[in-house]
Amino acid sequence: MRFRGQRRGAPMDTRPAPPNTSTPPQAAVPPDTLDALDPDAAPAPEPPHQPFDALPLQVALSGLAGLAATIVWGVAGAGYYWPMWVWLAVCIPIAVHVLIRFSLSRPGSTGHALAIHAAASGLLALLLFLLWAMTDSPTFWPVWPLIVLGFSLAVHALVAYADRLPGRRREAQLAQRVGELTRTRQGALDVQAAELRRIERDLHDGAQARLVALSLLLGRTEERLGDRPEEAELVRRARGEASAAIGELRDLARGIAPPVLADRGLAAAVEALGRRAATPVTVDASELRRRPLPVVETAAYFVVAESLTNVAKHAGGATAHVHLFEEDERLVIEIADEGPGGADRDGGGLTGLRHRVEALDGALTVSSTAGAGTTIRAELPCEQ
Amino acid sequence: MRAVIVEDLALLREGIVALLREHDVDVVAQAEDAEGLLRIVAGHKPDLAVVDVRLPPTFTDEGLRAAIEARRRQPGLGVLILSQYVEPIYTAELLESGEGGVGYLLKERVGEVRSFMDAVERVASGGTALDREVVSELVRVRSGHNGDALAALTPREREVLELMAEGRTNAAIARHLVVTPGAVEKHVTNIFGKLDLSATNDDHRRVLAVLTYLRSA
Repeated sequence: MRFRGQRRGAPMDTRPAPPNTSTPPQAAVPPDTLDALDPDAAPAPEPPHQPFDALPLQVALSGLAGLAATIVWGVAGAGYYWPMWVWLAVCIPIAVHVLIRFSLSRPGSTGHALAIHAAASGLLALLLFLLWAMTDSPTFWPVWPLIVLGFSLAVHALVAYADRLPGRRREAQLAQRVGELTRTRQGALDVQAAELRRIERDLHDGAQARLVALSLLLGRTEERLGDRPEEAELVRRARGEASAAIGELRDLARGIAPPVLADRGLAAAVEALGRRAATPVTVDASELRRRPLPVVETAAYFVVAESLTNVAKHAGGATAHVHLFEEDERLVIEIADEGPGGADRDGGGLTGLRHRVEALDGALTVSSTAGAGTTIRAELPCEQ
Repeated sequence: MRAVIVEDLALLREGIVALLREHDVDVVAQAEDAEGLLRIVAGHKPDLAVVDVRLPPTFTDEGLRAAIEARRRQPGLGVLILSQYVEPIYTAELLESGEGGVGYLLKERVGEVRSFMDAVERVASGGTALDREVVSELVRVRSGHNGDALAALTPREREVLELMAEGRTNAAIARHLVVTPGAVEKHVTNIFGKLDLSATNDDHRRVLAVLTYLRSA
């Protein structure tokens, strides 16, 4: 106890201790860092500041007081050893001092609070026991306060460690497991998103570029075959195949993540969707203040795209309103149309969308009443 | 005609340079990123810049942004954007970026040598060249609006309209549809009448009128 108190310094001193008291701080800093050029930095290492430790002094003075009393007692001819009351009187403040240091050493943890409680109860019990022993009482009167002390300590321990009881252990394990799964799923999604973007980049720089180069070579060849129409026709068809392959790769890349989304962000991409939709669309994304994670952004984009396709298909050219905003750390996407309503909650690709949203720990709801239009609302986690 | 090429993939850059040189285009400089584009345009004052939309280091739409900046610094510079995908907002930004010819084509159109070279010529001389995918997207969106005048066009007129929106001249449209220039002229007059646009004989102005109509959706 005492050693710990000394090592940590006086409890009321909140200044950070030097990391290594045996090495001057400047010795660890390379000479070319900014710190070394700082004119305020002292050229000579200062002796590390050691806060004054009161505990050893208190112990020493208490010991002296006890010894002095004992000497006086001896000189006065021994007899009833009254200095034991002096010892008791000086030991109580020391015990309180140590207890306070211990309580301040690591605040905030359940185990620590219980340990403080136990230490205080123990000290009090010891004090009562000593008082009893020193007064030579016929009955062991401390038994009642000791029972109360022990009971309150037991209740505290039960409350503090309730989750380690057999019944509660499973609950705690489940909570831990949920935390773990949430973390690892987020990691997996991030990896997946990065991987998809890499594939998209590879398609662009690799296969697509080569096919364009091939198409270019075939075009130049075709031009030189002006006098041989049959061969020229074959080359033209070959070029057509190359173009079809380029088109398919383009669709594939767009399905991974539309370029405008990566280039300009969610608000711009959704506005572009609105402009391209076959029905009139209003877009309000003015409340979006930050860019969500790419994987969330992509899911949000496809929710809007699929919903607008549904509006065009089922709502008979009705106007749709898209609203993007943040609420309680969640990105909310609402697509409301003025169509006839009564939509099938699982039709029109909504199941696929729901899976996509739920995989990100989001939620998708469809409210559609006949005559009042359809509203699709998706919520996605938005924290970085 | 003096042109510069900006494309980060050497394979494609060299192919395009070879194609242009075969058609007597003077390729005065090449670059592989946005900064390079601004540098060579400033240094060579070309008539035309052929630019890949996606360039290092961010591989997003840097090519487009840099081309628009280059046009701001050199008004009248023709800009032909080559892109892996059709993105209407990029087309719109390009069309609104000021004086001079603009083009937005899918990359694979470089294989259709004749029409690609047509597009290059048009953009360098202040005209417009829009990919047919861009145009059909514009037409699709526009005709999705109820009661749109496009519904009044005959299939042939619609075809002529789309070719006009791509930026082609009447003569080129006539060649493409294998009809006489007079027949195209008649279709154009009908289209302008039905869409309530004021007629003009200037090919380039007609293109802009049609594009303005399509984009006003």
